[in-house]
Amino acid sequence: MTTRLTAPDRLARLLAVVPYVAGRGAVPIDEIAARFSYPRADLVADLTDVVQYVGVAPFTPDSMIEVTVDDEHVWIVYAKWFERPMRLDPSEALTLLAAGRTLLASTGDEDDSPLFRGLAKLAAALGASNGVPVDIVLGAAEERSLAVVRAAVLEHRCVLLDYYSYGRDQRSERVIEPHRCFSDDGQWYVGGWCRLAQADRVFRVDRIHTVNLLDEHFAAPAIGGTAIVDPSAAEARATLDLAPEAQWVVAQYPHETVQLQSDGWTRVTLAVTARAWLERLLVRLGPYVRVIELSPELGDTSSEDTAQRILARYQASRPRELAGPEPHKGPTA
Amino acid sequence: MTSKLERLMNLTAALLATARPLTADELRGRVEGYPDADTSFRRAFERDKDDLRRMGIPITMCEVPHSDPPAQGYAVNRAEYGGNDPHLAPDELAALHVAANLVHIGDRPEGALWKIGGVVDNAPDARDAVNTQPLVALPTDPNLAPLFHAATELRVAQFRYRDLDRAVEPLRLSFNRGHWYLTAFDRTRAEERLYRVDRIDGSVQLGPPRAFARRPASGAIPQLPSWELGDSTAIRTLLLVDPDQAAFAAHQLGPETMVERHDDGGMVFALSVRNVAALRSFVLTFLDHAEVLEPPSMRAVMTDWLSAIVKGCA
Repeated sequence: MTTRLTAPDRLARLLAVVPYVAGRGAVPIDEIAARFSYPRADLVADLTDVVQYVGVAPFTPDSMIEVTVDDEHVWIVYAKWFERPMRLDPSEALTLLAAGRTLLASTGDEDDSPLFRGLAKLAAALGASNGVPVDIVLGAAEERSLAVVRAAVLEHRCVLLDYYSYGRDQRSERVIEPHRCFSDDGQWYVGGWCRLAQADRVFRVDRIHTVNLLDEHFAAPAIGGTAIVDPSAAEARATLDLAPEAQWVVAQYPHETVQLQSDGWTRVTLAVTARAWLERLLVRLGPYVRVIELSPELGDTSSEDTAQRILARYQASRPRELAGPEPHKGPTA
Repeated sequence: MTSKLERLMNLTAALLATARPLTADELRGRVEGYPDADTSFRRAFERDKDDLRRMGIPITMCEVPHSDPPAQGYAVNRAEYGGNDPHLAPDELAALHVAANLVHIGDRPEGALWKIGGVVDNAPDARDAVNTQPLVALPTDPNLAPLFHAATELRVAQFRYRDLDRAVEPLRLSFNRGHWYLTAFDRTRAEERLYRVDRIDGSVQLGPPRAFARRPASGAIPQLPSWELGDSTAIRTLLLVDPDQAAFAAHQLGPETMVERHDDGGMVFALSVRNVAALRSFVLTFLDHAEVLEPPSMRAVMTDWLSAIVKGCA
């Protein structure tokens, strides 16, 4: 480490180090250096050359901090104004509590785990006597799927997935070598090598129908092996005109070009990963979208055909209330 | 020659020790290491103040009582400066450190860990390779920290939401399916309400601390899908989802909404709909693998929309 700590960097550390050491007796210098990422030489120099001389005018001995440093240890017995560490600011407190709650939510740690205890103490120190005023629900993934997938990642074991591909609107079975399990924006994902596709793929845990841990092990991947799907890698493109009501599409999906038209509509070219994805988008946007151009692999996807297909379903059935009484099959409210 | 570090630390001590606000000139006399010339002293003093404030030291500025002519004085409120030591055991600190490594929310909290005892790593074990990869990234919002502050210190929060000014007692922040929500007691409407934090207009203003009694938020953790976030009367709607998508739908909607399971694996869900357009959009993501069963008015919402598309009324 060659970067020099600035005076404020060092002050921030000292304001934490002094209260930590004070009242603890002899504290090993190496421990302080590690806890507060304080290079040992800087730490020793600052304790002996600076902290000893800190006090309040008129600098009588009783206003000075008493520091003793030997080869291995530090003692601070009279920290005076620096007896307490700085208070956590709200965003720091929130970050720590939310990170802790998130991990608890995702690991299902029991109530006597160090994390659980640490969070309770932290909340109490912040004055939240009722516990942590932060709740985290990460995703709707079925806990069992998540548990199996996480075990597979840890043990480098293959899994057999029965998976519903939302993009392709198809269900299929595949064997994957799971490299990583993570959550993003409220959803859980597992990333790894898909033997069916012969490529790195990312799967949403809540679209896994069933997952089975296989006995077969795979060679551990290099760290950072799996990237999150890069939608721009998709080859198909769709050029659409969007009404002002459909502007959210531009914000939500990766796009290549955006052009404001004179009538207030926006022309946008989107990367399309699968035909079903485009059909969904078109039928949801309804009158607020016009298809300008589609690349050949998307065929003649159109809002009209998709809408007709869905409409056919409604025409073939009747609303329940007109179809007569239905037997109760499940628990109803 | 006094180092800048020593000067900053002595300045902090002087501001913490004083019982009344001290003027810049008084501080100059008490803290060693400032330049002699007035203008360079001013510049150095301003820079020091900025450095301390950036570190989060709460320097207050107010008029010195009985000063004539009125003079500005500075001080640090000791109660506001000092935190309570949570007395974390090494394994507890290590667990918090792992959590902070795995879960990313805004800035890295290294400085925060120093304030509660420093960064402690447990002995590396077999799981370490996994434990160092970020697991979760939660979105952040500029209003989150102030709302959290309000919830812990019982401050009333005021903000604009859905075109109305609100004064609320914040009780809990929840992160659910990609969004942060605030559960709070709305003083004007005299009831507990749920607000999506990213939909708050502008910034939140906080009142003084201890303005209401501490109590837990009632109700479960909110599970509000978009079609329940509306102001109209709730319509009970039954949705049939075909076998292939049923498990996925159950995950999305929560198993408690499932009211029927058919022999082929299809499922019927009972939804409470306050925002019709949001429900329509959701149902359409199933393409022709789902169908609104009742009420007829909601079926009509679907068929009217689809018919309009088929007729090509763009």
